Amino acid sequence: MWVALTLYAAATVMFIFGVTFVREKLTRRAVFVSALGLVPQIAALGVRWARLGHGPYIGYYELANALTLCTVVFFVVAAWRNPRLSATGMGIMPVAVLLLAGAMLASKADMPITAGLASYWLFVHVAFANLAFAALAASFGLAVVFVIRRRSDGGKWAQRLKKLPPQDVVDELTARFVLAGFLLWGIMIATGAIWANESWGRYWSWDPIETWSLIVWFIYAIYLHLRFRLRWRGERLAWFAIVAMPITLFCLLGIPTVFKTIHAGYMGGVEG
Amino acid sequence: VIRRVWRGAARFLKSVGLVSGLLAFIGVWSMAATLIPQGDVASRDVADWAASHPAVEPLVAALGLHQAFTAITFLACVFVLALSMAMCSWQRTKAATGRARTLRKARRADESSIIGDHDLEIVCDPALSASEVLSVVSGTLTHLGIKTKERDGVLAAVSSPLSVWGSPIFHWALLALMVVILVGSLQRSDGLMALTVGQTKVDAPASYGRLRTGPLHDWSAVHRSIRLDAFEPDFRAEGIDRGPTPTVSVLDEAGNVIQKQRIYPNMMLHAGSLSINAPAYGLSATLSIADTSGAEIARSVEIIDFSQAAPEGTVPVEPLKLSDGAGNILLLISVTVPLDRTGDRFAEWMPNAPTARVVVTSPTGESLSDSVVSPGQGVSLSDGVVLRLVDIGWYARLSLVDDWTTPVLYATMVIAMIGLAITLLFRQQLLLATVVEGPEGRRLVAKLRLWRNTPTSRSEITSELTTALGNDAKGGTS
Repeated sequence: MWVALTLYAAATVMFIFGVTFVREKLTRRAVFVSALGLVPQIAALGVRWARLGHGPYIGYYELANALTLCTVVFFVVAAWRNPRLSATGMGIMPVAVLLLAGAMLASKADMPITAGLASYWLFVHVAFANLAFAALAASFGLAVVFVIRRRSDGGKWAQRLKKLPPQDVVDELTARFVLAGFLLWGIMIATGAIWANESWGRYWSWDPIETWSLIVWFIYAIYLHLRFRLRWRGERLAWFAIVAMPITLFCLLGIPTVFKTIHAGYMGGVEG
Repeated sequence: VIRRVWRGAARFLKSVGLVSGLLAFIGVWSMAATLIPQGDVASRDVADWAASHPAVEPLVAALGLHQAFTAITFLACVFVLALSMAMCSWQRTKAATGRARTLRKARRADESSIIGDHDLEIVCDPALSASEVLSVVSGTLTHLGIKTKERDGVLAAVSSPLSVWGSPIFHWALLALMVVILVGSLQRSDGLMALTVGQTKVDAPASYGRLRTGPLHDWSAVHRSIRLDAFEPDFRAEGIDRGPTPTVSVLDEAGNVIQKQRIYPNMMLHAGSLSINAPAYGLSATLSIADTSGAEIARSVEIIDFSQAAPEGTVPVEPLKLSDGAGNILLLISVTVPLDRTGDRFAEWMPNAPTARVVVTSPTGESLSDSVVSPGQGVSLSDGVVLRLVDIGWYARLSLVDDWTTPVLYATMVIAMIGLAITLLFRQQLLLATVVEGPEGRRLVAKLRLWRNTPTSRSEITSELTTALGNDAKGGTS
């Protein structure tokens, strides 16, 4: 896992240098290095999966790892399909590095699947949480480069990021990734509700994690209304996507450390 | 006047500002609710919080933030949101109908209809023939992510008319979800029923310990009983410890088994609209009361909960009341089971040598006897009447939810997500182009609508086509 972290960190540095010094090759290689980092990460998670008999679903280490993996896969696929998006790695890869570094600092203790977690809904629910986060992280990366370029107003940074699609396309892509994240987050909430009903006999109990996941959904719903109904464009909407990201991350990883929650079990804590 | 008021109200309800404001308010309200303890004012958490936050407590109490999700402010916002969603859904349906009609019409478009109705015009390099122009345009659009088809001199990239229905489906489904939740809360019954092994209870209000019933719930339509067949204190399945596991049967009016299964986490029992979960368990003590001749005159099963705060680790759910023929309470009998200890905690399990502490008190609270008995032993009550402990076993506290709306709720969520997926995955675009010969040379005329999910923008298309066709663009946007 340290190898993966090193490669992701190297990719981040390469993105920053590649964009700052307008070295397109370096930016393209950074995408390759990001993809290379996936190999040891997938291998390490695979070994752990085989040893424990369950996927990366439980505890901060596994969850942050899975979020990182999905974020990087999402980015690499997007950059591979549309090379013009490579420079967004400058915004996305630091999130991946911070997440994985956080995971490396957390406890790596083995956590078995308990009776409360032994359900195929666990896989579905967590998978959609990871995918939603990856899409929203991509929107965050796009919003970051949008703001940088906009603030530069034709200056140095605009030149450095000129290989990216035009600003209106970046703006549109940000909205599309938000929409994708909104859909995936919605599925996460829906599968969570179904699982809660099957597990606890109630589909919604206003538990802090449930409440915050709804809050995050509402935040992105407001974004989409502003974007598609009020035709908001540009920097203020990009800032919206940027500010929403830490709230999303807090919802996924921070809630059990702050609030008493019946979901604490998935972080390896005691259910409140 | 009525029409004017209605229009004003409708305009207000479907305004994006209102929707965004309501979503933001509900979000902030919910955030506050996670920071402030929820519950009755008398509950310990709420009382402690109120004592430690005397400055803000009056405001919090006045707003109803201790019961944030049933507070009138919250419910009023949700109600207005539902009204707003209904208006928006209707508006989106009308818009989608119009777009679908436009797309259907576009599929039948020919050269003359494009020439008569276009919003982009680019003068082409005279060196390019008409077919070369269309070829260049096709190549440029493909590069921008739009695949085109050429038919009878017309280049077309027209989405399916079905692509426009995602957003209306999503919004109507969300509205339906809110209605289903409301109907569910009005007609559902949700309660806890305690059963000892072998015991059967009719599914009726009297059988429940705690019960919440919606005003539309019809008990007269419920004709079933619940039986606890077995209780396995330690059950393993698929290599996982499932914990204490009851086996429960649902019986019909004639006593036939409708459904029978073990219940453990993630393995609820479903029988029609009924779902049964087993959230708690405890111990039970079967008592027999015998007269002076030794003949049994009554039998009762007392249920006992675990409690780390209790002196011996258990508390009776309710004391047994012995009454005379007129219903006057003569004696109160409290039964607990002293637990074994593991470290400084009580082992919430059947003791190795189970016994029962039987405390007999008068109705005034005067203690008459306090003794610990083993199964088979008895306690003298009065006038030769003996209370005998038959055995100590387990009981399961079942959570029964009778709600036929749950599958409807699931279906509504699925439909909402399908609608959202259509919105995300399907492009809503209309691009029709053809070449026109005119006095100022050969021109590309096009009709362009990029509503949703297009990989490029109108400005990028215009700019790229202008460059590719080697001339300036006329035409504007519409």
